[in-house]
Amino acid sequence: MVSLTRRDFVKLAGAFAGLALVGGAAYAARTQVQRMALAQKKEPLELQYVRTFCSMCGALCGIEVVLNGGKPIAVRAIDGQPQTGACGRGASLPWLYDNPLRLRKPLKRVGEKGEGKFVEVDWDTALNEIAAKLKAIVEKHGFKSIAITHHDIWSGYMGLFQYLFGTPNRVDHSGSCFGHGTVARRHTFGIEHHRFVDPDYDNANYVLAVGRTISTASMGVVNRVMRNENLRIVVVDPRAPEIAFTSAEWIPIIPGTDAAFLLSLIHIIISERLYDEEFLMRFTNAPFLIKPDGRPLVEADIREGGGTTVYLVMDAAATPPSLADHRRATRPLLLLPEERREVTLKDGSSVRVKTAFELLAERAAKYPPAEASKITGIPKDTIVRIAREFAAYRGVADDTWYAAKNGNEYDVVRALLILNALVGNIDRRGGLVFREDQGFPSFVTERTVEGRRVAETVYGARMPEAMFADRHAPRVDRVKYPENTSTFDVVFDAILKGDPYPIKALFLIGSSPMAREMKTSKVIEAYKNLELLVVIDVLPQDDVDYADYVLPDTIFLERDETTDIKWSLHAATHVQKKMLDPPPDVDARDALWIMFEIARRAFPERAYALGWKDEYADHKRYREEFMKSFEEAVKSRLASNWRMDVAVVRRELDEKGYIMFKPKEFGVRPYRTALPTPSGKVEIYSLRAVTVGMDPLPDQRPPLYTLPKAPNEFYLVNGKSPNVSVHAALMEPMKYLIERSVWMNPKDAERLGIKDGDLIELEGIDTGVKRRARVKVTERVREGVLFTYAQSAGRTSKLLPPDHFAREGINPHHLNDARPAPGTGGNTHNTSVRVRKVM
Amino acid sequence: MRLAYLWDSRKCIACGACIINCAANYPELRFEKEPNPMWKWLGANIRRVIREKGKPELRLLSCQHCENAPCVTACPTGASYIEPETGLVKLNKDKCIGCKSCIVACPYGARWLHPKTMYPEKCPGPVCEQLIARGEEPLCVAVCPAEARDFGDIDDPQSSISQKIKRHRVSRMLEHLGTEPKYFVVR
Ligand code: SF4
Ligand code: SF4
Ligand code: SF4
Repeated sequence: MVSLTRRDFVKLAGAFAGLALVGGAAYAARTQVQRMALAQKKEPLELQYVRTFCSMCGALCGIEVVLNGGKPIAVRAIDGQPQTGACGRGASLPWLYDNPLRLRKPLKRVGEKGEGKFVEVDWDTALNEIAAKLKAIVEKHGFKSIAITHHDIWSGYMGLFQYLFGTPNRVDHSGSCFGHGTVARRHTFGIEHHRFVDPDYDNANYVLAVGRTISTASMGVVNRVMRNENLRIVVVDPRAPEIAFTSAEWIPIIPGTDAAFLLSLIHIIISERLYDEEFLMRFTNAPFLIKPDGRPLVEADIREGGGTTVYLVMDAAATPPSLADHRRATRPLLLLPEERREVTLKDGSSVRVKTAFELLAERAAKYPPAEASKITGIPKDTIVRIAREFAAYRGVADDTWYAAKNGNEYDVVRALLILNALVGNIDRRGGLVFREDQGFPSFVTERTVEGRRVAETVYGARMPEAMFADRHAPRVDRVKYPENTSTFDVVFDAILKGDPYPIKALFLIGSSPMAREMKTSKVIEAYKNLELLVVIDVLPQDDVDYADYVLPDTIFLERDETTDIKWSLHAATHVQKKMLDPPPDVDARDALWIMFEIARRAFPERAYALGWKDEYADHKRYREEFMKSFEEAVKSRLASNWRMDVAVVRRELDEKGYIMFKPKEFGVRPYRTALPTPSGKVEIYSLRAVTVGMDPLPDQRPPLYTLPKAPNEFYLVNGKSPNVSVHAALMEPMKYLIERSVWMNPKDAERLGIKDGDLIELEGIDTGVKRRARVKVTERVREGVLFTYAQSAGRTSKLLPPDHFAREGINPHHLNDARPAPGTGGNTHNTSVRVRKVM
Repeated sequence: MRLAYLWDSRKCIACGACIINCAANYPELRFEKEPNPMWKWLGANIRRVIREKGKPELRLLSCQHCENAPCVTACPTGASYIEPETGLVKLNKDKCIGCKSCIVACPYGARWLHPKTMYPEKCPGPVCEQLIARGEEPLCVAVCPAEARDFGDIDDPQSSISQKIKRHRVSRMLEHLGTEPKYFVVR
């Protein structure tokens, strides 16, 4: 690692310090405040430490809040907790509690949509009016015209809301985040969520993070990474993510070319025979025989009455090697002898087959290092070195998280997962592993009780099937993208064009589509076409300006919640503890209460069926009775799932804030039990992809935006940092910690005559939208690429003061176009821009 | 006992939690428009310095608790002093006349002027001072998700900070100035 020379360092420190002392007039003021300062010095601390989990982003890290005199002042990590430590977002939570921006009273829009003109109304007025509008909408368009979106806050309760409002359209943020990866994981492991598949950072030797900024997500993960003194980290990203400040190696890459890089690694590992042959033969579908039409050869192909899911391999246990059921073969060949390629089918015709492994090798051979270097901009030698290191260290390639960037990430994640399988590092210590089943109860499940289908809540309420309304109608986005996890862009199509059917009412719960979704102008147009937009949040996100009603939610320090520990491989649960009441001038209510109260006023029978009572209109009573029994029910269900005494579960959660149920057990799937893929194995060659008409092997596909060509054209990429979340970005410390400039490489800056701090205009090549921002000239971004943080800058809400720092810079979604990826429906957040210096 | 700070540059992900937690020392500045005009920063004792040229390089700067402290030498009233029991460099505000000599003298730029009281401020802040006196970790150390920070007695060979100094390649900033800083940087 290069180290700063002292001279450099002095210069740096000097540049930053700018020892401009405050003048004499201010000094004169000192005597007046001297007493206050002294008093403050002597004031004894009245400290209290309360354990909870942070909700400043969706990672929900276990933290201890430091209260002084009952007010939150700071946070601490919890020794021994499986997911602990706070980042800048978490540490800024004391600013959230009494923030002047906090939404204080229910608001009702009085001006035009977008004008940001509201009047304060009381809760009854707001809820009654919303309920009346909702009722009218449902009468005309049905329950399925209601959509709900959220991020992670309250997400556990969303299932309940779907029954409460009888709608399938709970469409979350995942298409804007890990959606591409989720489909890729399902197509490879049969396991979907990014949290269910993760590197074993504690024991890994070598982590390759392509398009994955480890430093951005859960701090529990950062903690595990950094405690592992033997771990080498390589990050591949067009800009240096924060982890590049550590001893990690940063490899800059041309945006949208990750798959070419990974396929080249695969090519080297295969051609240099650095792969784990045994693992590939036994635990993956690499030896499966694939027919020329791309379908796997099955028993039914060769024998009348044969199984359609009995996949065949060439077993070398027999001489000569012969066809066998993959489950029985002991030496299934990865590479076929030429004379065994011909297979006679049951109708007498014959086909030439190849193994899945051979097809992968052919695909990867399209990207030898020299070719991949041209595509990715990574030197050839670096590609070769990383491939060899990865194999030698038996590395683990992170399966990504916030990956919606160029629209081609499905292939990237497929290639990443295959890379892990090639070195046999699946569910082994230090490898890519499957998280323990959490045994955490779902808050509502459908089951049959005494011959009747019901939706049963965790606290025992039962809604009969006759009341499900449109709950099982097709979800708007699934109609278009059946493989996806969510494509919120389709909700906008549904609003604007009634395609596939109209959405008329939308609830935003603690999430900001204007910060997270593509093409802001489309978002706004859709908002303007809604009959009802209700925002439930704690701060004025940009979306608020278009809302018909804005309802202030409580923050996580003001309520109880129980959830599984999301970023740990172990089975564990932690609790959030109410430690404060909202400040006296903040009339906030729990989003859970708000949703039930709207339902009780619009569709009372639905609310009652899910256990609600008229008395709960009193928020205190709801807390004391409904919430309490809800929480108790979760704990007793947890206890019964883990066969433990509920008193023990309760005590551990009360005393420690968390409970460990089962440590991660390695070597289970696919070794002792099958994976939920069609073959039960790791699918190098995705059979599910074949079924749904997608390419069963990864490839380098072009990004879904116009590529920059002219000298003043750039890729515009965006990403997160440990300071970025929609809520944290508005906290005062972020005025200083988040850079709201647009990063430009010094070579590009020189070429265009642009200096650090200059104002530039960026014009979206695909949209023509223009925005202005200051430039930061830095080598933390690759040549030809501009970078800016997502969700943190270019805020527009009229409810923010005119000089609020979050207004600086750009929201990159203002410039990009709406392009969900074909197949996965994942978002495309990067784009290309034309740059002009503003004189 | 000589208390010292350690920051592991190999592990720090620049999350800013230590900086933001440090601002708990100055709650009166939380919502100020310019909480720390001198540093153009939040009201905290830690600054972030990023080198934009070459490999990304980061330094987190705060008081180095110099054993040969220029700020102490420069102070005309003895308000800046080295606490004999702990070796920490502190400021007795009762004696401070607000001349800013210490601010100018500090080669690390570790002191800033509190815009409301006009006293110089530095690490440890008033809350951390009390935490340290109770034997608890200062707030920057307690929060760090990367375990990139440590604090403790370098006279005690068993302390975790002593162990880290022994095990890793450690340097101190601007050592050539002879300030004998007690802020160790693992590289
Ligand atoms: S990553 Fe940071 S903001 Fe997110 S939950 Fe963890 S501490 Fe909080
Ligand atoms: S770093 Fe600066 S303020 Fe701290 S002891 Fe040294 S000279 Fe004094
Ligand atoms: S809390 Fe730790 S990781 Fe975060 S900036 Fe401070 S030292 Fe670095």
